[in-house]
Amino acid sequence: MIGETLRARIDAEIARFPVKRGGLLGALHIVQEGQGCVSLAASKELAAIFDVFPVEVIELVRFYNFFHESPRGRHQVYVCTNLPCALRGANVLLKGLEQHLGVGVGETTADGRVHLGREECLGACANAPMIRVGGVYHEDLDLAGACAVLDALE
Amino acid sequence: MTERVRIRVDDVEYEVDAGRTVLQALDDCGALFPERDGKRPEQTDALIPHYCWHPKLSIDGSCRLCQVEVRAGADAPPKLAIACNTPVSEGLVVDTKSETVAAARQGVMELLLINHPLDCPICDQAGECKLQDYAYTHGVDHARTREPRRKAKKRVDLGPTIVFDQERCILCRRCVRFCREVTGTGELGVFDRGDRSVLETFPDEPLDNAYSMNVADICPVGALTTKDFRFKMRVWFLEDVDGICTGCSRGCNVHIGVAKNAVQRYLPRRNDAVNGTWMCDDGRLSYHEIAREDRLTTCLVREQAIGEDSPQLRPASLDEAVAAVAARLRPLLDAKGPGVIAGIASAHASNEDLRAFKTFLDVLDVDTIGLAVARGDSDDLLVEAEKGANGAGARAVGFGALAPVADRIRGGGIEALIVLGHDLFADGSLDARALAGLDTVVAFDTHRSPVERVAHVVFPVRHAAEKDASYTNSAGIVQPVQRAVVPGPEVRDEGDFLQRIGAALGLAGFETETETEAESKAGDGAE
Repeated sequence: MIGETLRARIDAEIARFPVKRGGLLGALHIVQEGQGCVSLAASKELAAIFDVFPVEVIELVRFYNFFHESPRGRHQVYVCTNLPCALRGANVLLKGLEQHLGVGVGETTADGRVHLGREECLGACANAPMIRVGGVYHEDLDLAGACAVLDALE
Repeated sequence: MTERVRIRVDDVEYEVDAGRTVLQALDDCGALFPERDGKRPEQTDALIPHYCWHPKLSIDGSCRLCQVEVRAGADAPPKLAIACNTPVSEGLVVDTKSETVAAARQGVMELLLINHPLDCPICDQAGECKLQDYAYTHGVDHARTREPRRKAKKRVDLGPTIVFDQERCILCRRCVRFCREVTGTGELGVFDRGDRSVLETFPDEPLDNAYSMNVADICPVGALTTKDFRFKMRVWFLEDVDGICTGCSRGCNVHIGVAKNAVQRYLPRRNDAVNGTWMCDDGRLSYHEIAREDRLTTCLVREQAIGEDSPQLRPASLDEAVAAVAARLRPLLDAKGPGVIAGIASAHASNEDLRAFKTFLDVLDVDTIGLAVARGDSDDLLVEAEKGANGAGARAVGFGALAPVADRIRGGGIEALIVLGHDLFADGSLDARALAGLDTVVAFDTHRSPVERVAHVVFPVRHAAEKDASYTNSAGIVQPVQRAVVPGPEVRDEGDFLQRIGAALGLAGFETETETEAESKAGDGAE
């Protein structure tokens, strides 16, 4: 269920656009932030709010990489493996993190603490390799440094 | 009045409504193949290939195949324009045959075919596939790619009527727009992006609406196929006959696909005044009734009185059945006159047969006549409440409401009833008990029905797909149909039987030789 707080934020988002459905992308971010994912149930609710067919919401959710339909752990950790990071050892770093966490790319630790993924360029090439934890960049990393960052997460 | 503008497409000038796009305008002129709904292009057709554009759907502009060169006076855009979304303007010149256009089409076809499985030999769409046709006419004859083709889901069960092949889909989104714009059900969407895009339904929700099978018609490739026709027949074995659907009073125009003297499928035939380009699933599947097991194939007569343990009707020859009717009606007419006879018409009979019935009743001087018609669900799109193709035709001939006839029957004023069709009990004003006391009930029907329980003589009549005739739809449009299949030798038109009965009764103007006999003597009946 999309609660009152989220609904108020969605309504504020809708108010920013000349047509209602303009606010849908923003609403997806709001729902994912508030509920940890955009579930099928939430997609249906959003469809009702925005007067669109439920498949239209799913079209949007699945078009973009950054929405997911099931919860993905408390911390979203993404390793950039694009060219500059790759040249600076990002793939080795990613392998090391997989071992450190005991999960593969695209998986979440059993305790639901960390979701590990890979990502394309995040624009921090000068300080490659780097990882993104939620909205925070950690740059100039080696494996030990990256593990320390992850270990410090709740 | 809409402003008209003149455009030139290749060497042909058209005067079209302003505000339309090039493809729309050509379609308005009936000059766009294949939307004109012809099987083969005519000399006069504008040949602009297209996939995503459909005359009854919004413009998508995604397939890029309809690119043409356009210029208006000195003003020529530096690149090709898509004909589906380029507005017409006075003096617009469209070139569909230049080398640039041909190269662009080749490029589009190459891209569309990169991931296409090319499984034409086992594809049901083969033979009526736009990808096949345009690959042949506009494509290249070899592939430049060596990479493996995309693997995706085959045989996806989309719902009760449709099977989907993700690999064959070219993502034109016609089906998506159909479900959103025409049925308003919105089951389909294109998920993911780029070369991973796939057509899907909302997870675990089927494509299930009353018009779902139209998506298979508008699918330009073999991605969406109907479970009903899938793997039944190679389409090039089908003969195409113009008919109408007889499910309701809309009278949707259909292409009857015929092979082996059997109807293999109905496809909607475009008629903007009646059904546009669509038809409902119930109507599309209604062709199954033509060869259903409960079709009547011979005349039936009952010799003993109707009672609790009355024997079944038994098959009889045509002459026997005609004689049985005469033997029952003649004494009744002589003793009590035509006032005790009632005639009830059906919305399933053709105009020709209804006129024959009316003439027969007029000559008999029967004036207790009415129309029995079944009613059911209707919707805002095509489905009409009156479940019969020719209710309007019957009323035009003079058959009115059933109620006065039913009242007279229940009141005991009627001793003989001549009834067409099987809708006699449909509105509930009559039932088998009300008719049990009648001296004579003569029925004309395509199928076995509850009317048989009270009938003394039953004549097997032809289905609309089995005759050259006409039907009048609810809007008063008289629609001709052509004979698609030849029924059994004893199955005839109502008018044919009535001729014989009239002759047996010695009625003025009724002769023994009928058109059917004359036809078979001429050797025409042998097909």
